Amino acid sequence: MSHTVLVCDDAIFMRTMISDILAQAGFEVVGEAESGSQAVERYRALKPDLVTMDIVMPDMGGIEAVREICKTDPEAKILMCSAMGQQALVVEAIQAGAKDFVVKPFQPSRVLEAVQRVLG
Amino acid sequence: MDISKYAALFLAESREHLSTCNQLLLRWEREPAATEPVSGLFRSIHTIKGMGATMGFTGVAELAHRTESLLDALRQNLIGTDAGTFELLFRAVDALGRAVEEAAAGREGPSDMALAAALERAIGEQAGVPGDPSPASEAAAHRRRSTDVPRARAVQVTIRADAVMRGARAILAVRRAEVLGVIAGLRPSFVQLEREEFDGRFGFRIESRASEEELVAAIRSAGEVDSVRFEEAAPTDTPGERHRQIRVDLARLDRLMKQVGELVVAKNRLGVMAAGGDDPALTELSDRIGRLVSGMQGEVIASRMTPVGEVFERFPRLVRDLSRDLGKRIRFDVEGEEIELDRSILDEIGDPLLHLIRNAADHGIEPPEARVRAGKPPEGRILLAATRDRNSVTLRVADDGRGIDRAAILAKARREGQADAASETLSDDLLLRVIARPGFSTAEAVSGVSGRGVGVDVAMTRVRALGGTLEIRSEAGKGTTFVIRVPLTLAIVRALLADAGGERYAVPLAYVAETVEFDPRAITALRSREALVVREQVIPTVHLRDLVANGRRPVPARRPTVILEVGERRTALVVDALLGQQDIVVAPFDAPRGMPPYVGGATILADGAPALVLDAAALL
Repeated sequence: MSHTVLVCDDAIFMRTMISDILAQAGFEVVGEAESGSQAVERYRALKPDLVTMDIVMPDMGGIEAVREICKTDPEAKILMCSAMGQQALVVEAIQAGAKDFVVKPFQPSRVLEAVQRVLG
Repeated sequence: MDISKYAALFLAESREHLSTCNQLLLRWEREPAATEPVSGLFRSIHTIKGMGATMGFTGVAELAHRTESLLDALRQNLIGTDAGTFELLFRAVDALGRAVEEAAAGREGPSDMALAAALERAIGEQAGVPGDPSPASEAAAHRRRSTDVPRARAVQVTIRADAVMRGARAILAVRRAEVLGVIAGLRPSFVQLEREEFDGRFGFRIESRASEEELVAAIRSAGEVDSVRFEEAAPTDTPGERHRQIRVDLARLDRLMKQVGELVVAKNRLGVMAAGGDDPALTELSDRIGRLVSGMQGEVIASRMTPVGEVFERFPRLVRDLSRDLGKRIRFDVEGEEIELDRSILDEIGDPLLHLIRNAADHGIEPPEARVRAGKPPEGRILLAATRDRNSVTLRVADDGRGIDRAAILAKARREGQADAASETLSDDLLLRVIARPGFSTAEAVSGVSGRGVGVDVAMTRVRALGGTLEIRSEAGKGTTFVIRVPLTLAIVRALLADAGGERYAVPLAYVAETVEFDPRAITALRSREALVVREQVIPTVHLRDLVANGRRPVPARRPTVILEVGERRTALVVDALLGQQDIVVAPFDAPRGMPPYVGGATILADGAPALVLDAAALL
């Protein structure tokens, strides 16, 4: 059975791109979220194997969402998607419980490597 | 031989060793597997024992001997460490500190029998454990220890050169390794990694039961890892270059500084005389003396410069003890220990910092449960950082705690008439004024801010006395930062000379942002005070001639204005004329009764006439 993924990003473009990369590699994208609070809510509803999480999102940011999700599920496998120059935020996300990160612009191979490591 | 004349030296050296002991103990407690702290401790305590015995201070010598015996047993792995061991050693070092001070002051107190007994017990309990016949060699003990108990290893990791955000990657690797054991001695530091101030290589020590293969797999699971190597846990102490040094009594440096100060005044007068005459030889000589005196002034100031680390070093222990007493988890970070300050300022700055740090631990940082509820890591953080600006040093005490409840403080300020009833917000300035008021205390404070001001008034007074400033920034839920700014040195400052009503005044240049021409058309009002619009910024004005009530002479048509700046606050000081810059020696000033607060001291100008030095902070 293929792994299920929840893709969280406020930009449709990014969600589409990440979903495509993952779908082509045989993952099943079961849901998308465009804000942190949506991510938390959908995570609880869908219980996906993997979450990709943008850092800067409206309403509730990605780091906050990681914290919320890890509060109820410390084993949650969350992969942060960061832009260049957000190292401090990435570190904060790792401290909050994120399991790995990739940096935009994405190279599909790097994204998949990171996904494999997280699902490890 | 008369031993007494060595008492001062005994005291100074013992204090240094005890301070080292505290640092080593803190490190050892953090990294119980490290071997160098115990050796260093043993050496320091041994030295104190020797000195104490030579001085005939038997109390010191005996206590040092007992402590040394315990350290020796620990060093040889005859007994193991636990939390109790560290508590005991901290107690012993504290007691030794008291004994040293008392002995040097000529009143050796009774020895602490309970402590002596506890030290004896700690050794006795475990000595002669079966199967541990003789003081085995350290190496053998090490091997034996490492079979069934966690083993300490030094790990060197390299992140792939083409990886992005290598700092975050390194931190991820550390997090992965952390699952398997206790990590210490991360180099480069967490903060450096976070800022990616490294070349992809980093190292740490880990105490773990896991095999090397398991450790490698865990670290590699962070991704982008190029290599993982293990090393023998090497001592982290690098033998730093030793400069040849001598000890000089600070009073002697003070006298030297004073004399150089007088010399600067004389040099300035000579310069005025040479400029007034037309003797080229005198002018040349005056210039030459001027350069020599400037050079000498620089050297004397440099000789008084001391790294702030000397004052900072006592705080990690303080925070550790406080967090224990308060039941909180606090990480204490220090930055900029190497920044230097004049010794006399440094001596004065310790207390204000102590108050602010204690405040941060006590009232700023929340208990772990409260932090978790607020979505913060359970461990709070207090940062003490020094940075050097051009003519001053900035010291920051920042916590990531609950911040100050502005609504409560504002309500209080309104009740006491410190804020308009209509004002809805509380500026940082007003916040500081309210909490720094002497007597702002638990009893009268609103809940949530209780005691927050205790100590702030003390800090404020001390900092102001040094010609420095104190600022506060606080955000509810995020934390509070106190910023202290002090001049590099007290004695000689560069000042701007200004005339008001025929009298001359000196304004320390450190607080002068710029000078502009006074333009009556730019006058406006700011909260019913006169203000001046300078480049679209409204700055409250102060007319120096009104202030000093010296308005007999006619007001000149063109009046320069000095923009004073302390932190983010500005004031426009309107004067009659600017008379140039000069190095002035600020004489310590026992303010006569009734002296207005804006006078910070007095000085003798180059022409031999006295002038008052204005305190920029008091004019704001």
